[in-house]
Amino acid sequence: MTGFVLTPRGAFDARVDLTGALPGASDLERLSIGYGFRRVALGDLFSVSGSGADRLTIAGGSPLLDRVAAGLTSGELVVDGDVGAELAKGATGGSVVVNGSAGAYAASELAGAHVTISGDVGERLGAAGDGARRGLSSGTVVVGGSAGLRAGERQRGGVIVVKGDVAEGAATDLIAGTFAVGGALRGLAGRGMKRGTLLLRSAEGLSSGFADAGEHDLVMLRVLVRRSEALAELFGEGLTRARRFAGDLNVAGKGEALIVSA
Amino acid sequence: MILNGVEIRDSFAEAFPMVGTRLIITADTPKWAMIAAKTMTGFATSVIGCGCEAGVERELAPEDTPDGRPGVAVLIFAMDIKGLKAVVPLRIGQCVLTSPTSACYAGMEGGDVVSIGKALRYFGDGWQIAKNVDGRRIWRVPVMEGEFVCDHESGTVSGVGGGNILILGTSRAETLAAAEVAVEAMEKVEGCILPFPGGIVRSGSKVGSKYKGMFASSNNAYCPTLRAQTETKLPPEVASVQEIVIDGVSFEAVSACTKAGIEALVALGRDKGVVAIDAGNYGGNLGPYHFKLREIMA
Repeated sequence: MTGFVLTPRGAFDARVDLTGALPGASDLERLSIGYGFRRVALGDLFSVSGSGADRLTIAGGSPLLDRVAAGLTSGELVVDGDVGAELAKGATGGSVVVNGSAGAYAASELAGAHVTISGDVGERLGAAGDGARRGLSSGTVVVGGSAGLRAGERQRGGVIVVKGDVAEGAATDLIAGTFAVGGALRGLAGRGMKRGTLLLRSAEGLSSGFADAGEHDLVMLRVLVRRSEALAELFGEGLTRARRFAGDLNVAGKGEALIVSA
Repeated sequence: MILNGVEIRDSFAEAFPMVGTRLIITADTPKWAMIAAKTMTGFATSVIGCGCEAGVERELAPEDTPDGRPGVAVLIFAMDIKGLKAVVPLRIGQCVLTSPTSACYAGMEGGDVVSIGKALRYFGDGWQIAKNVDGRRIWRVPVMEGEFVCDHESGTVSGVGGGNILILGTSRAETLAAAEVAVEAMEKVEGCILPFPGGIVRSGSKVGSKYKGMFASSNNAYCPTLRAQTETKLPPEVASVQEIVIDGVSFEAVSACTKAGIEALVALGRDKGVVAIDAGNYGGNLGPYHFKLREIMA
């Protein structure tokens, strides 16, 4: 069973708020969604085909599609193309696959779902939204490309993997969790970090509050790459050693940046 | 029933429900994984005196452990979940946390849970680090050597304790040798442990005693030196008896282990000094699990 398929009827001329368009949602065609400053029926913008409650495919993405998979609790949502802001915001279960890029606040406040984005993401990946105290708290988000400003800001748990580079301010005020970066840091990373782990290729770009604690053979690394497919793919299953930088000591943080060899 | 000259007595082992968990202990080398496992399962022969029964289930290859290092699976049983929750963190804390290069992981899921890192993390004095990956929580506790890594908790299973066989032999040496062969065969059965020294008990007990306050005492009916003074279960040619006690994660596991032991003893046969195989029970009124020797070997 392929599940429901949403196919855009044409190009969008305003932002589309797809809150509620989830696998298993009833009467998708009549679902009221935001379109610019108006509300319209989903069927006005998309043709709906297929059947099945476990999967929903958006066959044709757009950077104007906001809140795709927001609040997802189960099932699979696939987007062939780009999406806009707040992808999978607050999703507690299920999986989301974006075969394209995502806008700002992707996976923000994620709480259990698994999100995969093949392209780049905008600012504040996995971060806390406006007024929220905590960002991503559990689950996993994997970004195939690069991430924008302040990725992982106030992350509280779970795993964020960015295979490419991350812009300035990554892991700002990070509370806990694991944030892995395969590419380069662009500066001021980990500022205000309380706990949590950054897995990095280089210490270049870490904020000034990190201090070298030496090279170590860490059993924990062996466990991480065996329990996380995404981390194993990024660092290899043979990962055992890392150079540990403790921080952010400027705020008496007990976090760490582990620099693993290429 | 007589097989290869060995009498399989029309008897049964009477066993009891226990609650158990499996833990995976790893280390940099098989030697240190086994040292930690043996230490952790030491002084755990009988729940009566030790509070739990524990033993090594099997060795694990690096590819079968959570951290890719050599490992050992151990099983630990107590009479109830409260008892198990008390002994597991204590034993890990004293015997695994302290053992060089060791780590400790949950070996089963489901059922009630017993604490591992949930209790031991406090040794880190605030420097401990939790990691949540793939829905599972692990702890890193800094120690002088580096870090002790362990799972947050482990699941439990309703198991069976007190399965047993009695080996009646013609001499002390031959009976012990036969018991060792049986243990070797029984240790290959997954899901079981033989908690006594080397898997063997030379001092099987009966319930009660003439002395006030003693819950168990020597099983005089099977003591060869008391043949002339007490009702005996031993034929004249039997000079020694060894017992093998079995705890397992299920009735089926204990039954398979019992069968493996009897088959090994039968293969030795009467020529190697094995006269008969019996089992310990209390008349069938105390334990809900009965392992009938002849049915197992039918």
